[in-house]
Amino acid sequence: MKRDRPALSLAFWVFSSLITLFPIYWMFVVSAKSRVELFGAPSFIIKSFFSENYWATITNTTYQGFMFNSIVIATSNALLVTTLSLFATYALSRYPLVGKENVFFWTITNRMAPPAAFLLPLFLLYTQVFVVGDWKMFDTRIGLILLYCVFNLPFAIWTMRGVIDAIPHELDEAAYVDGAKTWQVLFHVITPLARPGLAVTAILTWVFAWNEYLFAATLTSVHARTITTGLAEFVTVTGTNWGQMAATAMLTLIPAVLFLALVQKHIVAGLTFGAVKG
Amino acid sequence: MSDLPPAAAAKKPQGFLPIHTNAFDRVFIAVVVFVAIHLFWMRFVEQDLSLYVATVISVIVGAFIIARG
Amino acid sequence: MRPQSVGWLFLAPTLFILFVFGVLPFIYVLVVGFFDWNSFAADPTPRFSGVNNYRELVFDSGYLMSLWNTLRFGVFAVVSEIILGYALAQLFMRNFPLKGFFRTIHTLPLMIAPVAVGATWRLMTVPGLGPIPYYLDKWFGIDFLISRYPQQAFFTTVVMDVWHWTPLVTLTLLAALSSMPKEPFEQAQIDGANRFQTFWYVTLPMLKPAILSAVFIRLMDAMRTVDEVWMLTGGGPGAATRYVGLYIWRVVFPKTDYGYGSAMSLITLYLTIVLCWLLYAGLVARRDLRRTE
Repeated sequence: MKRDRPALSLAFWVFSSLITLFPIYWMFVVSAKSRVELFGAPSFIIKSFFSENYWATITNTTYQGFMFNSIVIATSNALLVTTLSLFATYALSRYPLVGKENVFFWTITNRMAPPAAFLLPLFLLYTQVFVVGDWKMFDTRIGLILLYCVFNLPFAIWTMRGVIDAIPHELDEAAYVDGAKTWQVLFHVITPLARPGLAVTAILTWVFAWNEYLFAATLTSVHARTITTGLAEFVTVTGTNWGQMAATAMLTLIPAVLFLALVQKHIVAGLTFGAVKG
Repeated sequence: MSDLPPAAAAKKPQGFLPIHTNAFDRVFIAVVVFVAIHLFWMRFVEQDLSLYVATVISVIVGAFIIARG
Repeated sequence: MRPQSVGWLFLAPTLFILFVFGVLPFIYVLVVGFFDWNSFAADPTPRFSGVNNYRELVFDSGYLMSLWNTLRFGVFAVVSEIILGYALAQLFMRNFPLKGFFRTIHTLPLMIAPVAVGATWRLMTVPGLGPIPYYLDKWFGIDFLISRYPQQAFFTTVVMDVWHWTPLVTLTLLAALSSMPKEPFEQAQIDGANRFQTFWYVTLPMLKPAILSAVFIRLMDAMRTVDEVWMLTGGGPGAATRYVGLYIWRVVFPKTDYGYGSAMSLITLYLTIVLCWLLYAGLVARRDLRRTE
């Protein structure tokens, strides 16, 4: 390769970063301004931070509920998916199961399905089939938690497969020889070694569940609405309260951005389905 | 979706399909073709010819694909 | 020592959830697609109607239009993302200070919820507020109004998708570029190949698997984009950005025409699988075929 010119590269990357960051920065600017300040020529400087947009969302009990639901759903889903994927990949990795590669392949193809094609059947199942007495799965948090497994489990199993396969078999063989039970091997030998992989899986599934909108909007009505549906309502219902919409969007992306630093290197592997190790 | 054919299978003489297939792939292709023929038929031909003709054609084509692909 | 039953027991909850929430809806949609069932109709009970839903479907110009627009959107977005992503990945291969920092910044869009991305771009393009219409008008005299001009709306959704997902392509190709051996490049230099020849005969063939998987993943994702576009344009103006997911969700779904909606869902799934498989068979498998011969 030719001589590198760091200064030129640096200049380019600063420029490119500005383009990448600009939409987010603009949203922040809008969120920090009062309605009056937003009129006229766009100004990119925040003279005084107008926090009312944020307070309007944070103190709104409806939005507190959305936030709470999102946190509960994303966290439960992440824990559930991580645990189940640990079990599943342990089975796939260590047990001589007949046709396990086909099972593995079938599992991950679940992720390819376009969600829009599943909206209608899931809506019907949730409102008419998954019904026990007065209780319907429609508009419940557990409904979304379980549903998100369909696109998070394949991802988690894919990621965890590599992690579990990489743990030497000799370690659990030795533990078995020492008389350990299966669950002891799983929790005292495998889990500690797989912890980094489990953490990445948990964080990414958490973010995927947090970001999901389409199913949350369709399969809930009042009680289990998430923050993404709350954000979308600014466009569909309330109309033009741009400041508060921007503030809500900022609140929506804060956790994702916080997690970014933790899993930065693994995001690509996660999003490309392990086609590329990041 | 089909799995990658193992390298050993790839050396075997092939049917008329341009890729290497196993039995599952061929059934899958047959189903895809079956649906495609029916949709096409409903759009363009059904005014003149019954849809059952399409079914017959699809079944023949499907059987051919599964047997010879 | 390692009984199969214990293994299956570990897998059971996963398989159960995937079956109930993944396979069952599929079977359900397959069955309902053959029924005439509309809960708002005079007769709300399901009634077997053969392939009538599909008959209606192949003549539904709105649906066909949405399919065409989706495909157009996917192709425009993915081609731009691959070109841009490759260029950025090559630039990341050089040495410069703060590399990790810049890479983190370029990863940021990937983590943002699609709804929030749509909200962001809405704020960028709303007339009277967003900087894009303001400066386009001031500097170039362009009347930028995505709620009125279909072409502008279409390309704004493409630009938004490019902004959101180019980082994925960049990082994918960067990983592939970093793991490439150096020898072929040195050999090419010794043989006196120019830059383009090196790119065409050395880089591209080695990068092909990574490019293909990026195309594959991005195209599948682009075909099912709903949230972002919904937030940005609401599917309008007219039906210009009403991509197929939006069509099912916003046009068919509220009509509660369950039979017809199921048929459409199934055909959409069918087309996705076929496209997916054609890409796979046409691009990936053929490459393997050539290699084994």
